[in-house]
Amino acid sequence: MYRKLTAYLLILPLLSVFLLTCSRPVLNNQIHFGIQAAQKDLWDEAVFRWKKVINSNPESAAAHNNLAVAYEKKGLWEQAKKEYETALKLSPKNIYIKANFENFNKNYELQEKDEKDKKN
Amino acid sequence: MSFKKKMKKIKKIKFTLLLVLLFFFSCTSSSYLKLRVEIPRRTAFNLEQFSEIVITNFFIKKRTKKFDLNQELVNYFASEIEREFKGKTSSKTISLEKEEVFSDKEFWKNLSLDLKGAVLLTGSAQYSEEIRKAISETKKDYSEDLSSKGKIMEERRFYTLSLNLCLIDAKTGEALYKRSFKESKGYKNPNQTAPFAFFELIQIVKGKFFRNILGGTKIQERYLISD
Repeated sequence: MYRKLTAYLLILPLLSVFLLTCSRPVLNNQIHFGIQAAQKDLWDEAVFRWKKVINSNPESAAAHNNLAVAYEKKGLWEQAKKEYETALKLSPKNIYIKANFENFNKNYELQEKDEKDKKN
Repeated sequence: MSFKKKMKKIKKIKFTLLLVLLFFFSCTSSSYLKLRVEIPRRTAFNLEQFSEIVITNFFIKKRTKKFDLNQELVNYFASEIEREFKGKTSSKTISLEKEEVFSDKEFWKNLSLDLKGAVLLTGSAQYSEEIRKAISETKKDYSEDLSSKGKIMEERRFYTLSLNLCLIDAKTGEALYKRSFKESKGYKNPNQTAPFAFFELIQIVKGKFFRNILGGTKIQERYLISD
């Protein structure tokens, strides 16, 4: 009985440390909510969720990346660029962010070139 | 150390390892979702900021026989823009006496069209037709005339549509967007009609012009990720 109690007493602080210090699961829920909303084409809801994540954890590369995709979808190019850059700064080796940013840049640069040609 | 004690120690280590692993995976594992997203094209001019497009008549540099270029342009743009523009589309006739009028801010401002949030689509146009002679090669048939070497003189009818399109803010008279197009096409058939060629050429102009003002969308793949 005494042994069991000590075992529980050991587990309890470990669990509380796990739940309190690692807040990502909670934030991940918000990210997942956002992803689900995006899948249903509810991009405003998705933006709301991912912004919420960024407010609590500005270091979330995933939230910045997802928000960039949402901005792209809405045609907000400058905001999308900024978010992709932040995401890449936070997670420079992430292949998914890199792929997204490359595709974004193709569209972005093509238009920049088109606008320059017109001016010339 | 007795066997029982050893087993207990191993169990404790296992338990701690399990907790560490659980902690590690819940915090660091990342997943992704590949999504096909309809991404709008970047446009040089954002037409959506206006609630109405007023298509005016066009300044015709040189009249074409048996073909009312101005009317065809107005009709074409009116129907095509109405189909793709979310706002209102209408047309208006304005007296355009010279080509320089498109950069004359005061002229458009003084028209007093009483249009709020509207943009005017106007411009100058020219449609020409010419017959060009060209040497073209036919399938060589050496059994007949050897001197001809399979080359014949052919007449081709060429049509050229030149358009200077301009979008003017009805409120300020300012030219917001200007773009010139010159499209040409040759036809083997000498009886090719001007309306038919016009329709083909204006389609090319439409593709380029609408892409710049209305944008459209394209489907691309993007990754949504979670930490």
